[in-house]
Amino acid sequence: MSDEEHHFESKADAGASKTYPQQAGTIRKNGYIVIKSRPCKVVEVSTSKTGKHGHAKCHFVAIDIFNGKKLEDIVPSSHNCDVPHVNRTDYQLIDISEDGFVSLLTETGGTKDDLRLPTDETLLSQIKDGFAEGKDLVVTVMSSMGEEQICALKDIGPK
Amino acid sequence: MEGQQYQGELLAYLQSTMRAIEAACTSIQMHTNPAAAEATILSLSRSPQPYKACKFIMENSQLANARFQAAGALRDAAIREWSFLSSDDRNNLINFCLNFVFQHAGSPEGYVQAKVSSVAAQLLKRGWLEFSVSEKERFFYQVNQAILGSHGLQVQFVSINFLESLVSEFSPTTSSAMGLPREFIEQCRKSIELDYLKVFYCWTRDAALGVAARIIESDSGTDEVKVCTAALRFMLQIMTWEFRYSSNSVKNINIFSDAIRPDNTLLNRTECIVVQPGPAWREVLLSSGHAIWLVKLYSALRQKFSRDGFWIDCPIAVAARKVILQFCSLAGTVFPSDGGRLHEHHLLQLLSGVIKWIDPPDAVSKEIESGKSSSELLDGCRALYAMATVTTPSTFDKLLKSMRPYGTLMLFSNLMCEVLKVLMTKESDEETWSWEARDILLDTWTAILTTSSGSSENATLPPEGVHAAASVFLLIVESELKGACASVFNDDSASDYLHASISAMDERLASYALIARAATDVTVPLLTSLFNDRLSRLHQGRGIVDPTETMEELYSLLLLIGHVIADEGEGETPLVPNAIQRHFLDYVEAEKHPVVVLSSSVIRFAEQSLDPEARSSIFSPRLMEAIIWFLARWALSYLMSPEEYKEANHDSGLGSTNQIQSYGSKGIILKFFSEYGNGKTVLDIIVRVCATTLLSYPGENFLQGLTCCQLLHALVRQKNICVHLVELESWRDLGHTFANEKILFMLNASHQKSLAQTFILSTAGVKNSDTANQYVRNVTSHMTTYLAELCDKRDLRSIAEQPDIILLVTCLLERLRGAAGACEPRIQKSLYEMGLSVLKAILVLLEIYKHESAVVYLLLKFVVDWVDGQITHLEAQETSIVVDFCMRLLQLYSSLNIGKISLSTSSALLSDAETDKCKDLRALLQLLSGLCSKDLVDFSSDSSDTPTTNISQVVFYGLHIVTPLISLELLKYPKLCHDYFSLLSHMLEVYPEMVGQLNGEAFTRVLQTLDFGLHHQDVDVVSMCLRALKALASYHYKETTCGRPGLGSQASSGSHPTGELKGGILSQFLRSLLHLLLFENYSSDLVGVAADALFPLILCEQGLYQTLGNELIQGQVNPNFRSRLSNAFYALTSANQLSSTLDRINCQRFRKNLTAFLIEVRGFMRTM
Repeated sequence: MSDEEHHFESKADAGASKTYPQQAGTIRKNGYIVIKSRPCKVVEVSTSKTGKHGHAKCHFVAIDIFNGKKLEDIVPSSHNCDVPHVNRTDYQLIDISEDGFVSLLTETGGTKDDLRLPTDETLLSQIKDGFAEGKDLVVTVMSSMGEEQICALKDIGPK
Repeated sequence: MEGQQYQGELLAYLQSTMRAIEAACTSIQMHTNPAAAEATILSLSRSPQPYKACKFIMENSQLANARFQAAGALRDAAIREWSFLSSDDRNNLINFCLNFVFQHAGSPEGYVQAKVSSVAAQLLKRGWLEFSVSEKERFFYQVNQAILGSHGLQVQFVSINFLESLVSEFSPTTSSAMGLPREFIEQCRKSIELDYLKVFYCWTRDAALGVAARIIESDSGTDEVKVCTAALRFMLQIMTWEFRYSSNSVKNINIFSDAIRPDNTLLNRTECIVVQPGPAWREVLLSSGHAIWLVKLYSALRQKFSRDGFWIDCPIAVAARKVILQFCSLAGTVFPSDGGRLHEHHLLQLLSGVIKWIDPPDAVSKEIESGKSSSELLDGCRALYAMATVTTPSTFDKLLKSMRPYGTLMLFSNLMCEVLKVLMTKESDEETWSWEARDILLDTWTAILTTSSGSSENATLPPEGVHAAASVFLLIVESELKGACASVFNDDSASDYLHASISAMDERLASYALIARAATDVTVPLLTSLFNDRLSRLHQGRGIVDPTETMEELYSLLLLIGHVIADEGEGETPLVPNAIQRHFLDYVEAEKHPVVVLSSSVIRFAEQSLDPEARSSIFSPRLMEAIIWFLARWALSYLMSPEEYKEANHDSGLGSTNQIQSYGSKGIILKFFSEYGNGKTVLDIIVRVCATTLLSYPGENFLQGLTCCQLLHALVRQKNICVHLVELESWRDLGHTFANEKILFMLNASHQKSLAQTFILSTAGVKNSDTANQYVRNVTSHMTTYLAELCDKRDLRSIAEQPDIILLVTCLLERLRGAAGACEPRIQKSLYEMGLSVLKAILVLLEIYKHESAVVYLLLKFVVDWVDGQITHLEAQETSIVVDFCMRLLQLYSSLNIGKISLSTSSALLSDAETDKCKDLRALLQLLSGLCSKDLVDFSSDSSDTPTTNISQVVFYGLHIVTPLISLELLKYPKLCHDYFSLLSHMLEVYPEMVGQLNGEAFTRVLQTLDFGLHHQDVDVVSMCLRALKALASYHYKETTCGRPGLGSQASSGSHPTGELKGGILSQFLRSLLHLLLFENYSSDLVGVAADALFPLILCEQGLYQTLGNELIQGQVNPNFRSRLSNAFYALTSANQLSSTLDRINCQRFRKNLTAFLIEVRGFMRTM
């Protein structure tokens, strides 16, 4: 995982959120990492050595923050890894449309209508039920490496 | 006529029950509808007085399983109903079981017999304190007859088995649960130990004598062998009994603190139970030639069956060897005070038998390698271990001299050498007999050597022992080095053991070190020459041959050397080991002192790592780990030792060599490495080596962890080292790099925390307190400045999410945490300022990073650590600032997180989010507990005129904010649950008066939580809730008796105007506590605490208590139980002169009453 590769990737992903190089040894559990060009959250780090008197390497087990798939990677701990820029923005939920999109109120007063509802049944019902009950909901939208998804829901009291 | 009809009905009933049970047993075995079958069997044991049915099934059923279940049901019912069985019934039940066992002694279903005999044993124990002596005599008369063999071998066998289950019932560790108090068990144990054990022993011994003679004479006799094995096993059981009453004349025995036996069995890998039966056993065990009989028996059997190789592992052989082993471990007052002559004689007799198992070592080991069982040799090693444990080294050595031209130590070390040689030929990692033998023998060495250094004068190791130790150590080192070479290239095991590699070997290395220290004159120079040899090999081969093997050898050597010359400093400063102090007295020149030479070699080697070229070719991360570990361990004992100060000051005027001589050789070494000698140079080298591992080994987390957490911490732990540390150029450089260079931000964040802590701790070496505070400011300014600047940035919101900024913030917060955790009174001021300057930034960052759980946690933890260090020192005004800040933090955290749900398709991420929440909440609770401590300890200098903050009010308010964030789901995390309840119960115990002032919502929440806690599974949580309840009720009772409102209108019953609540909260708790005590499952440890809570509750709510009691009494259908229950209720509140004041004596009386009450009624209340 050399630096050139990293730059190449950034260019290919032009315009999308960036990634940053960071030494593998400093990445801890609960941090973020890019594995196989996917932004992931690290759930487990273990270290081992290449041979008894060799150098340390890190073994990461991470979960794709968007699709929840598990990914693994082994990197020499002095080398750099890519760390994704993960952005989260809160919006107030205005409406849920019939065709599976949500309508969100931005900070500037505009609306954001291009975000799909999650397809997973339980997540969907968590959002829909709360909205149907007339609660005032704020959704947190997580975006990273060109993808967006609702990642949290906060009830700020009844209307 | 009627009688006959009744008989007929009864028979029909019994037969139908039998059929039902048989059907149930079959269905369990066939696995068809097991739940229903179990219910059928359970209903038999739960039904009142099922004895007739049980006996009927046991006697008539053709199905062994049904007989087994019936015996179990009989036991359960009898234990439950014991207290209202007539004494005739009790006797009959036991007699029935005993006779059943004897009559069916030949039955092929041994497990039924075993069950019935254990039922007999349990019932006998249940009634042990109530049976008269003559009743017991009657039972045992039958047993004795049976053991004597008058009813045949089968009966003899089962009767010995009965004794075995009886004795194991009486030993607290193996007894079965009957719900009886510890005192009962203890009395039973005392009675059987003093009055019966010896009798039983003699009976079985005689039985064994009889059958053993027949076994040796005749060729067949499987039954005799069976009986003999059982007898030996029973003798072994008695020999492992924990004698406490007969050995020591009068000693106060605390029956509640005996969970761990005082002898050191836990420390060693091999078990050796020292038996101390006391003088009463002398006749039986020693004077009667019993030991020699045993040894002869074993030899005779061994001879007789020598053709069968498998015989060694037969039950009878195993049992006999174990008994012999136990005889070896015999000690204490059973031997007369004749200067140990009888003891020696006794051991000699045993050794004469044991020696055949191990001598000559090489021949024995060859036999084992060619297929003979190793158990005899291993037991031989264990026997040596036992003998070494109970004797002094010189007695141990003398034992063999009467039989052989050499002593026991010689044999022992030959044996060990043989084992090590075998071990060296084995390449594989699997456990072989030689492993086990080595471990036992190492423990034997430990036993010999620790007794010799532990006690005084004549316990020292004889010269033969020193030679033996030296030659054994030589082989140990050889085998370790060989093992090191062999293991270099098996990568898989290396990665498994990586983290544990240093500490896992510790135990073994510690025993090696003991052996080495027994012969320091030889071993220290040996280690030096081996070390130097490997070093030169490493240098010569540089660039030509693969150095890995040599590096691994050096790694092993470093670990060994570290263990030999220095002790571990678990929490305290270790001294130079005694063995090293006592030896090398003839070295006057420090440079030539072997320990100095050895230490200097290692330090010079470590210094070479500073050279980049050498580093890349020789100093692998693993080798550096060993070096750092060694330096940390070594520095604690030797570097600028404070002892040397004392001595230097002491003889500064005289400076005579005699003086030094009298301190042993320690003085010379310590002087050499003192601040006047080479101490400063060595310290400088160490600091520079540390800097190298931190800067030049990027990503080597383990190595850097060792450097930060072990070596540097070891240095700053000592004030006299700090004095020189802060003066060093290299230390200043490291500090400068830490604050300014990016490279140290690449360290693992927790190591940065540790480094920051180290720097702050090193201020202990700064003389003047102003300078110390300035030093702290210099170290921490980069952290506070950067955070403050960051928060002032306009585009903070957008840049804060960049990974590099997150990393930086994380590192700075960890550093701040480290600094805050190193708070000392002297530098408290500057650390307070440090925290104060980032308070605003913390609130800003908490908001900005609300989605970044890792950062949030660090922010909270910093505040917790900082408040923890500061709170007791703060003046009133500062306190109010800090408290104010904490409340704002709590509110902000709550507003950001309340009602928040994470959405993710990944269950792992969801549970992670949950764990994060839990950790945050724990931090908040810790913060509140930290604030609490202000009320307990306060060093501030305030006079009373400044307004002080009411801490209890603040903490209750804080709890009010935090509690809604804690869901029932989160309380399933044990740590959070524990923290929460301990804080809550602390608050209620210390400030019960605050509860009355809470508003309605907060009040109900507190009480609901308490009620939840009362029914928690965790004993600790329940007992904390009970304590809180006790505090509340006592407070209320005391206040109301004085005419004050106490907890207010919500507390007491009846007075509530709206009538929503039936009775007040105290009455609810009285109800639920009574229910808990009578009907639910709980640990018996809770009874005492529950009594403390129940008593004031009853006093507060006497009317309700009467009503509840009456309800329970009326609810009993059985008149017998009803009267027992009402008597018990009466006794609960009136026995032991209980009065209605809440003082200590009364509470204790009530505890007793409640225990008696529960024993009396819980049995039938719960089952009916």
